[in-house]
Amino acid sequence: MSTQTGLANPFLSVRGLEKHYVRGGLWGTRVPVAALKNIDFEIRDGETLGLVGESGSGKSTLARCVARVEKPDSGEILIDGKDITAKPRTRLSSRELVQMIFQDAVTSINPHFTAAQVVEEPLLIQGEGPQSRREKVRTAMNETGLPAEWMARSAMEFSGGQRQRLAIARALVIRPKLLVLDEALTGLDLSTQAQIANLLLDLQAAHALTYLLISHDVTLVVRMADKIAVMASGRIVESGPTSKILTAPQREETIRLLASARTAQENFAAITGGSE
Amino acid sequence: MQGTSEFLLEVRGLSVTYLPADGIRIHAVDDLDFACAAGEVVGILGESGCGKSTLANAILQLLPRHALCGRGQIFFRGNDLLRVAEPELRNIRGLGISLVPQDPALSLNPVIKVGLQIDEVLRAHLALRSKERQVRIRDLLCEVGFDQPNEISSAYPHQLSGGQRQRIVIAQAIACKPSLLIADEPTSKLDAPLQTEIIALLARIRRDHGIAIVIISHDPALFAGFADRMAVMYAGRIVEAGDTPRIFRQPLHPYTQALVQIAKSTFNVSASQSRRRFAAIGGELPNPAAFPAGCRFHPRCPERMEICEQRDPQVFLPLPLQPVRCFKYGD
Repeated sequence: MSTQTGLANPFLSVRGLEKHYVRGGLWGTRVPVAALKNIDFEIRDGETLGLVGESGSGKSTLARCVARVEKPDSGEILIDGKDITAKPRTRLSSRELVQMIFQDAVTSINPHFTAAQVVEEPLLIQGEGPQSRREKVRTAMNETGLPAEWMARSAMEFSGGQRQRLAIARALVIRPKLLVLDEALTGLDLSTQAQIANLLLDLQAAHALTYLLISHDVTLVVRMADKIAVMASGRIVESGPTSKILTAPQREETIRLLASARTAQENFAAITGGSE
Repeated sequence: MQGTSEFLLEVRGLSVTYLPADGIRIHAVDDLDFACAAGEVVGILGESGCGKSTLANAILQLLPRHALCGRGQIFFRGNDLLRVAEPELRNIRGLGISLVPQDPALSLNPVIKVGLQIDEVLRAHLALRSKERQVRIRDLLCEVGFDQPNEISSAYPHQLSGGQRQRIVIAQAIACKPSLLIADEPTSKLDAPLQTEIIALLARIRRDHGIAIVIISHDPALFAGFADRMAVMYAGRIVEAGDTPRIFRQPLHPYTQALVQIAKSTFNVSASQSRRRFAAIGGELPNPAAFPAGCRFHPRCPERMEICEQRDPQVFLPLPLQPVRCFKYGD
């Protein structure tokens, strides 16, 4: 785990990011709605930044901008100090290729594909040959706990947790440095969620991965993130190391988010007789 | 057909099998016993795919055509629902038992105002005049926590938030004052603060009207302080049941122990926990088309013994009123 020495350059920095959507149109008046307002943050190599906030606060828009699924209106996204916002997708190095994992693996995976086809897709796009594709798919599936015998199985036959593993394998297959996890653990059973969270922690330790972890579940973010940024109405209203956010939250939004997580913990501790 | 049940709802030896077109039989619920007294809250805990929703749909007799309730009885107020004719069932649903579905976005009609959708329930079951129904709809909306019932009543589902839609389906469910609510993962689509609100609402409804609630979830935290009793389901069976506080303090089945441990480890908001792995159980639920021989949990069980691979454990009673299906407690 890297520390905040201040000497090392950040792996990812986002500066002055803005994004507007237009509401209305056709017959109504077109009103621009600000989804992101002047977003600044950094993530160091191998660190996890947890992004929390209520639904509609702009977390997903920010995630999509960082993963270059969405184009920001203004601002810079720098990887290793170089602005990648203008660089064409095909010229991005694997270090610059940010991979995204979504909440619903069911809708982010083509049901007609076999497991191997799902995982090899990013390699196909990069024009890799069949031999090396097969090797890399096997390695990625192995790393995410999916047996190689399942390569020919239809993605439809996988359970919710297995599909999320498949989505992680697909993201890892091109060896990215940064994964954007947009509610990647939401909607799973508590036991499956624990398994996938452990997998992500193990992969991070093994490959020094950097995570941008987005979730409305503060409990999970507190557990996995080195630093936390709190979003409200398109802005980052508070950010800092996890321990500091936990012990001395400044903003009302942060305090509210933490309170609901603490209530859940206390209710449960009261009935089970203490925490772990 | 009259039973001798002292419970409002009593399920005895129920088995539900799906017979899909490809011919592979899936035993979703197997020899299951379960009961709920009047005014009681009972939680059913289990991972997705363990048969929880099949049980809920079997109680309401809303299973798809290719599902077969092969054996068992479901007594509601002494009548076996498996032997009640459809017209009578239509009256029991809504008036006697009603369902709070998992995803209100799917169960509400997107092109009908929500007030009218509550009205539909009232018209189907009660002989009330239009004026009386309007008053009733307003009261119901207030009861589920809306300050401005008139505005909400004329809104379409898409104009409401997820939490508001969940309140609407709860209003539908209690519209005819049933004696039993079945809540199938009522909060799984909501974030933590909203979950707490919905559970508080259900607790108030139980207190004010004495409506019994069977709540189904994969999250044991929902039951803490809400469910009087709980049953833990694994691979189509109840593996442990008892008073909720007692199960949480002293879980007997290794599966229950693991679930409680996972919840404790997950709901731990302190800085010292940073980047520490979560407690977890390895493996996944077995395929219901091919359960393993012996105890169905044995492939994942940290305490499995030789006998667990050979024989199916019966129900043991190591503590009073806490039945458990595990060879640790007898053989």
